[in-house]
Amino acid sequence: MSLYIKMPEENEPLPSLKRARGKLLWISSVDHKQLGIMYLWLALFFFIIGGLQAMIIRAQLSWPENHLVSPEMYSQIFTMHGTTMIFLVLMPALIGLGTYLIPLMIGANDMAFPRLNAFSFWMTCMGGVLLYFSFLAGGGPKAGWFNYPPLSEMNYTSTAGVDYYLVGLILTGIGSIGAALNFVTTVLCMRSPEMKLNMLPLFVWMMFVNAFLMLAAFPLLNSGLFLNLLDRQFDAHFFIPSSGGSALLWQHFFWAFGHPEVYILALPAFGIISEVIPVFSRRPIFGYKFVAASTVAIALLSYSVWAHHMFTVGLSNAVNSFFAISSMLIGIPTGLKVINWIGTMYKGSIRLTIPMFFAIAFLIDFTLGGLSGISFAIVPIDWQLTDTYYLVAHIHYVFLGGSLFGIFAGIYYWFPKISGRKLSKRLGKWHFWLFVIGFNLTFFLQHILGMIGMPRRIYTYPDLPYWKVLNLFSSIGAFFMFTGMAVFFWNIYTTLKKPRTVTSNPWNAWTLEWAVPSPPNLKNFVEIPPVHSRRPLWDLDHPDKPDKRLN
Amino acid sequence: MTLTFSLETTNVELINNLFIYFLVVAAIIFFLVVFYIFYYLYKYNSEKRPDLPEQREGSVKVEIFLTSLATTITAVFVYLTISTMGKVQNIPENPEPFLQITGHQWWWEAKYPNSGVTTANQIHIPVGKKVLLQLNSADVIHSWWVPELGRKMDMIPGNTNYMWLYADKEGEYLGTCSEFCGQAHARMRIRVTAQNPKDFEAWQTQQLKPVATSENSNFIEGKRLFEQKTCTNCHAINGTPYQANIGPNLTHFASRKRFLADMKINNKENLKEWLEDPQKVKSGAHMPNFIFSKKELNALVTYIHNLK
Repeated sequence: MSLYIKMPEENEPLPSLKRARGKLLWISSVDHKQLGIMYLWLALFFFIIGGLQAMIIRAQLSWPENHLVSPEMYSQIFTMHGTTMIFLVLMPALIGLGTYLIPLMIGANDMAFPRLNAFSFWMTCMGGVLLYFSFLAGGGPKAGWFNYPPLSEMNYTSTAGVDYYLVGLILTGIGSIGAALNFVTTVLCMRSPEMKLNMLPLFVWMMFVNAFLMLAAFPLLNSGLFLNLLDRQFDAHFFIPSSGGSALLWQHFFWAFGHPEVYILALPAFGIISEVIPVFSRRPIFGYKFVAASTVAIALLSYSVWAHHMFTVGLSNAVNSFFAISSMLIGIPTGLKVINWIGTMYKGSIRLTIPMFFAIAFLIDFTLGGLSGISFAIVPIDWQLTDTYYLVAHIHYVFLGGSLFGIFAGIYYWFPKISGRKLSKRLGKWHFWLFVIGFNLTFFLQHILGMIGMPRRIYTYPDLPYWKVLNLFSSIGAFFMFTGMAVFFWNIYTTLKKPRTVTSNPWNAWTLEWAVPSPPNLKNFVEIPPVHSRRPLWDLDHPDKPDKRLN
Repeated sequence: MTLTFSLETTNVELINNLFIYFLVVAAIIFFLVVFYIFYYLYKYNSEKRPDLPEQREGSVKVEIFLTSLATTITAVFVYLTISTMGKVQNIPENPEPFLQITGHQWWWEAKYPNSGVTTANQIHIPVGKKVLLQLNSADVIHSWWVPELGRKMDMIPGNTNYMWLYADKEGEYLGTCSEFCGQAHARMRIRVTAQNPKDFEAWQTQQLKPVATSENSNFIEGKRLFEQKTCTNCHAINGTPYQANIGPNLTHFASRKRFLADMKINNKENLKEWLEDPQKVKSGAHMPNFIFSKKELNALVTYIHNLK
């Protein structure tokens, strides 16, 4: 092993609003760290909006025959809640973490295409602005986040909302495609020369695989969106059955994107968890190769499962069987990952930090969401339970219990690196308990609501047995989550006011981003530490027992 | 023709059983995951084990064992899924539906091709008979779902779907449209009345009777208004030239217990309220507000409420 002495680095702070040209840099920067932070702020901003929409939904459904919002407004709110949370919160949050961390974790000084990076961000941002501009232009989109025609066609939804939805999502789609291109190229071409592909940190590996998913999925969505736009604006008939189109065609377009999208939002979270659990168990990940390979298996399988969203449209039993088998198969690599994460904790020395709290909540709630997902692969069960609150519960267990808890773990984990300050553990615990308890209260009960017959997307419901009490408790849970989020924002706000005190590696972690100061300088690496295994900083700290050399 | 055969297990029971198998297996897996997480959190806490643990990389044996186990469980459920699917959804080559349901924004049109009965929202089926349903849509995508009677099936414009419906006990079964179909989606509920075959026949006979007449002056005035105020552009009355199919067929409207897709009890007050301002009762409904005078309202209500 080569002798390595770290060179002292000059402190060149990142652009700040307080310094000269600071404001301009928030618009013109092409630095991956700056853009990563901007992605995260964008996600946080839209999370507030999407969260308030969720609160309106839960308030409206608190009791039967409630008239807090009109049915027309309710349609817009749930449509925008779904669209916002998926395209403007989870996507930018995960892409943002990737943009910030991938170059740092592979020993690069920036992304492969810094200007494309900025372009992707501003496209996503513009898409979000356009989506919300719809409210000033006659009303938001109101055909659900998956916008099924013919309801989304001019004949049935004549306000401009759906047009803004189409154009807005086309823009965010272009942004996501740009980000994916950048991830792939960066990982392939910008790695430290010593870092072989099988030495990538798992977060980077999963973002890398994920980027291929995005590259193939978003063009499908965008073509579908374009066709719908042609229908609406130029009287085409792609999805209008009465003039020869097919309503089902859209569903194929949308879900051929939509199911990979579920994994696009899950894989980066898996990556975060695969970084957090080993660091706080003080053991390398259990079965690196299996975790990495199962990611590829998930990515490949995720393209052959889309019709499980369409088991009730009347496809033949043969077609349904194919998609049932592929959907069940995808559970195997996913389950394997859960086992590997738990295996990492085995005989470890577990430090219960806030990132670890969220990683554990992730393990439990994502497992529950994954298992309820299997019940949709079992076609006859899907025939009963799809499009009910059981499904609403399932997607929230996957997107919150999965992706969002992963993002929270990631934010608490990397916040010291990004800002130079640790988030308060005391407030972090409040955030954790309020949010996790609220989350489980809200969404666990919705499984039962679905089983007793409550369909999704209804603005109110008759006073049937148990519906009232279950909905009321579900709404109370939402209030807990809301409070938890307020604590989280307060935590960020107060922490950002404190001075920067964090050293370069506060968690005793092992990947390259922890080799540079917190926050990193504009130029990430003056010199890249030697990389001979998957844990370069471990090797530096423990020269007596380094990991097995891989290059 | 009605297909009749006794069933050992109904479709709903088949699906319920499958769900219970799933639930048991899922609960065991979930319990194990949670148990091991908390057990390890307790046992391997850094406060108890402050020393640096052994840096092991995992075990191929464990991975292969658990993958094989997962694959075996999956194989069992693939088998159960495909076999149950075949039992629940076995539609004959040339389906002859007992009941044709067409979804409209926001009501259900029901036709009984064997007897020729056409009604709306009020769906009667005989008990103990497995009846074949044909599902279509007149506008956007709807989805038929009465949880206790069978599976859910989408109604897609341009496509025709079939499914079996079976009730083994007399009674009222509630269901709902399960695909978001616009503003009044929440108000598109279903009520299926399962009757013994005798009552069902009696109901059908009653539904086939010619439209009611009366010498009552209000009734006659109502009938005139119904035609003059263009109600007939959307609503059909059997035995008249008015056969539009935009809104529900009203020939035997008064025989229905509820109206507006199970939203309201069918009585004179509710009907009057509805005719007075449809948007106020069912927001988004396609029926225009005709701004009837009090007198006109009374006449119309008398007329419609005598269409038994």
